[in-house]
Amino acid sequence: MKIAVIGKGGSGKTTVAGVLARCLARAGREVVALDCDANPNLGISLGVGLDMTEQLAGIRQSLEDGGVEHAPTPEELLSRFGAPAPDGVRLAVVTKIDQPNPG
Amino acid sequence: MGAAPAALKVAFVDKGGAGKSALAGTVCRQLARRGHRVLALDVDTMPGLAVSLGMPPEGARLPAGLAERVEGKGWQVVKGARPAQLVDRYAAWAADGVRVLELGKLPGQVEPSVTVAFRHVMERFRRPGWTLVADLAAGTRQAMFGWAHFARIIVVVADPSAKSALTTRRLLPVATHLVANKVGCASDLEAITAAVPLQLLGAIPYDEALAEAERRGLAPIDFAPDSPAMIATEELVSRLIREAS
Repeated sequence: MKIAVIGKGGSGKTTVAGVLARCLARAGREVVALDCDANPNLGISLGVGLDMTEQLAGIRQSLEDGGVEHAPTPEELLSRFGAPAPDGVRLAVVTKIDQPNPG
Repeated sequence: MGAAPAALKVAFVDKGGAGKSALAGTVCRQLARRGHRVLALDVDTMPGLAVSLGMPPEGARLPAGLAERVEGKGWQVVKGARPAQLVDRYAAWAADGVRVLELGKLPGQVEPSVTVAFRHVMERFRRPGWTLVADLAAGTRQAMFGWAHFARIIVVVADPSAKSALTTRRLLPVATHLVANKVGCASDLEAITAAVPLQLLGAIPYDEALAEAERRGLAPIDFAPDSPAMIATEELVSRLIREAS
């Protein structure tokens, strides 16, 4: 199944998404947790810690920097950019904006 | 009768939920009560500043059709209205004489990029003596893409959560000042300031009265004018004025 969690800032999207991912993993599902927020904090709610969450690179930025010639498959992207989280959840950050854009 | 107070240009940003809109709305009202001519700009694509100013949720909506998508140029304000005209014609009136423009959303438009059409209002509205206070969208996107360039003071509002700390660190390249919000105890304040090398403009205590104002959809300054958070915001406003002069 594919679940998206949306809502107003501060209402608890990230916390709910993190708990959902962990609970589904504990129930035996293979879970990919995708942080689609450009200010990605899902790692904290998943329990990977603040430092690890801060170090995760955005897939989009990594692809742009790396000059990849053709679009990799979702599986390749996950194996390259996914980070392990507790209960076997795999966490990936779609895009991360943490530098001023000169444009 | 003293001279008119010096104008301020301030932008507020946060993680989302740290309280930037409630704070920005209160700051606008308090500045206006001190004699400032205040233009409040809600740049958030999920606008909420009107409520914090004491207006109905849709009290500051721009008329539908004010911007249109021009082939090859993206969103533009129709007929190229100058910023001063947009302010005079469309800025709604909030209490204490605050004027407010909701630039993040147009009725009938779901695309967040429509905001771009109104960016020039912030950047080119230079009427002498007017104080500008902008409430940016939560997170890093608008701040990193220059939406706060107009401001001389860019305040990041942080609460004691780890997520807020991470967001605040990401905003360091653009933020100029820090406000600690929802401070419950001394260790909260330490947690917020420890990793953030920004000048602390104020520490606002956690205040149940503000949570109740949010539940009721009322401006904190109207619902709980004498609450500890409102008194702390007064001190913050005094420091803002000193910083700007």
